Amino acid sequence: MYHQKFLAPLAFALGLTAVTAASAQTLTMGVRGGPESMDPHFSALGSHAEAAKHIFDTLVWSGTDLQIEPGLATSWTAIDDDTWEFKLREGVKFHDGSDFDAEDVKFSIERIPVVTGPTTTAIYVRRVASVDIIDPYSVHINTDGQAATLPNDFIRLFIVSSEAAADYSTAETAAEGFNSGAATIGTGPYKYVSWEPNGDLVLERFDDYWRGMGAWEQVIRKEIPNDSSRLAALKAGQVDVVNYVSSVDYLALQQDAEIDAVIGDSVYIMNLQLDQREDTPMVRANDGSALPENPLRDLKVRQAIDYAIDRETMVEIVLEGLGKPANQMMPVDFFGSNADIPMPEYDPAKAKELLTEAGYPDGFQVDLYCTSDRLPGDGAICQGLGQMLTQAGITTNVNAISKTVYFPAQARLEYSMFMNGWGTLTGEASYTLGSLAHSNNPDVKLGAFNRIEYKNDEVDMLLQTGATMMDEAARRAAYEDAMAKVMADKAYISLVQLQTVWGTKAGSLTFEPRFDEDTLAFFITPAS
Amino acid sequence: MLGFIIQRFIQAVGVMAVMSVIVFFGVYAIGNPIDIVIPPDATQEIRLEAIRRLGLDQPLYQQYFTFVSNLLQGDLGRSFVYNMPVLELIGGRLPATLELVLISVICATVLGVSLGIFAGYRPDSWVSKTIMAVSVLGFSVPSFWVGLILILFFAVHLGWLPAGGRGDTVMIWGVAWSFPTLNGLSHIALPAINLALFKLAMMIRLARAGTREIMLTDTIKFARAAGLSEATILRRHLLKLISIPIITVFGLELGSTLAFAVVTETIFSWPGVGKLIIDSIAVLDRPVMVAYLILVAFLFVTINFVIDLVFALIDPRVRHGASA
Repeated sequence: MYHQKFLAPLAFALGLTAVTAASAQTLTMGVRGGPESMDPHFSALGSHAEAAKHIFDTLVWSGTDLQIEPGLATSWTAIDDDTWEFKLREGVKFHDGSDFDAEDVKFSIERIPVVTGPTTTAIYVRRVASVDIIDPYSVHINTDGQAATLPNDFIRLFIVSSEAAADYSTAETAAEGFNSGAATIGTGPYKYVSWEPNGDLVLERFDDYWRGMGAWEQVIRKEIPNDSSRLAALKAGQVDVVNYVSSVDYLALQQDAEIDAVIGDSVYIMNLQLDQREDTPMVRANDGSALPENPLRDLKVRQAIDYAIDRETMVEIVLEGLGKPANQMMPVDFFGSNADIPMPEYDPAKAKELLTEAGYPDGFQVDLYCTSDRLPGDGAICQGLGQMLTQAGITTNVNAISKTVYFPAQARLEYSMFMNGWGTLTGEASYTLGSLAHSNNPDVKLGAFNRIEYKNDEVDMLLQTGATMMDEAARRAAYEDAMAKVMADKAYISLVQLQTVWGTKAGSLTFEPRFDEDTLAFFITPAS
Repeated sequence: MLGFIIQRFIQAVGVMAVMSVIVFFGVYAIGNPIDIVIPPDATQEIRLEAIRRLGLDQPLYQQYFTFVSNLLQGDLGRSFVYNMPVLELIGGRLPATLELVLISVICATVLGVSLGIFAGYRPDSWVSKTIMAVSVLGFSVPSFWVGLILILFFAVHLGWLPAGGRGDTVMIWGVAWSFPTLNGLSHIALPAINLALFKLAMMIRLARAGTREIMLTDTIKFARAAGLSEATILRRHLLKLISIPIITVFGLELGSTLAFAVVTETIFSWPGVGKLIIDSIAVLDRPVMVAYLILVAFLFVTINFVIDLVFALIDPRVRHGASA
């Protein structure tokens, strides 16, 4: 809105000659979601961080497979129990030509809690107590106790210029300063030109980028939330690449020689969650009367549910092959995933037998709730799951609903059996197990998303000690152990790991799909 | 007249007040927006802090009173999601919706009324029958499907027009408009056709029904007997007589299209208010929803008011009845 005033005369001149946007030096990306502000510290939303990565850099970079790599920091070491030392990259320039140094790091970290929005970025710095500048290229981060995974917390900690953003660092002024471009000065591969909420983000190449010069002079990031419209824009040649091609469209694309599909594994895994409270609201006997106790507390019932789920069919039929059966809450190679966990079998006879043993020969009735508009295929998986459970004897009423209704109700603990996706965005287990598998305990800041009152004392202990282990091998062992225990308890039943599809004009671009589903212009190159 | 305006004004304020209460409490009943937007690794403490910052920890009536007292000072609040003043957010999107809707509603009305009069005037010709058959399609085919077909055919298959988005803009009175540029017009074409189809069909049917009725009346017979040409009869007598229901529908359609062009805007990625409101609903961005619906209520009350004034201008019975 602000910036358009200056661009309009130019746009007018171009409009009369009716130029087409697609020139070789411009990359136009059609994406499902966008940033909520130009202030990188405003939101922790995935699409917000994705857009910010074009303009700003992080101290710690997370690579294609979410492995952590040097970013603006070249190395980091824990120098004692509650201090990390970060060595900073020298010779890095901001878009306005000024030098990047320790001052900008301290400024950015301290700025976050002040300017964050409701999708709070405070999570990136939750362990930080204070920042000491040792010299222009090294900082000491003091933490509240041992924070073994601090570098992982920093993968979306964007560094802004302490000079340019100085006047735009209160909750009231931040949006104005960054959306106008005055403070939108980063060290990233592209410079900010203009942005409209829910509209286009226009960027221009930064020639002095420390990783080298990007392939595109101009990048336009167009928000097209409707899946079909986004793909149509690609087919019509309006955009060069689109993300999140739906599984239905993906089937059609296989016949289409003009469009290439790029498939990548996603961090998202669908988990079925079974309420462990003694009194649970959505479980009844078949005739609708109350049951004497919550059957989901019985391990045999939970095992029966697991046996009743046919993951292969789920992937092949429901997801059109765009997924993999899952046996734990994270993809297999992540830090803390346990390779020894067996893939659960599909055995409906065994499921019936276990239900009978548990004292429910005729099963019972349960309401299953899931999101239907958050991740590809979530509603369909929910339907399939309902049928499989009903077949095994547990009469399941499927409610696939909007995330807008689902998450607040889930937070109020209104559900007994529910399913949604969970993405391990940091690539390591403390993120996932710490939030879901630890009992909900604000005192140790763990278990905030454990909405089934799951509690296993051994798991709690492993997660608490794991978070403080500075030795990587010991920590990995602790998390692997915890993962095995959690999955054996079957209160969380992992179903499938999703895959993501990008579409490009055939043979025009090359890029490596990222695990976190980001579409980053700098890493996309022309095919020849 | 003044009394009429004052009465309308009071009515408007009442509608807007009721609207704000319903939306405010309705959104609250769905749940806490924080639970939709909070990142999964937030601790309990961070969640409570986020709730406190948005003032969502206050009792609901207190949140409402804060809202109303800010409103009375001309402040509609800031969006939870964008941290921008709501008026600025909506104001920035309004021109896009306005130009799209005006173009589509005006085209639909001019074309629809002409075709409808023809169909009513010559009901038995094959052209009229074709017009009526096509208008049935306009009514019965869902607009999201038509939108996708338009994209597939004109953008993907033929490649004549862009598949979505808004074209180049020009500044007029400090507002960005896209209709004066060729590129802008090419972007408007498909969504405007998509929006216009239903209205076109309705206008054809209204005009046709009116024409058939009026053509049989004594007015037309006497006009013919007086030796007026058919063209003059159609223009001066018929058009005036059938215009009352058409203007009413025009106004209501204009309002509802402005407010709820959501489907078309979503399919064509048109950066208008419809898309903004649907995105806000998805994350329970209450300030935007409340402010938007209040503005919509205001819009409808205003449009109805203007329609009444226009009636008085074209229909002497209304005019004289009011003064008598």
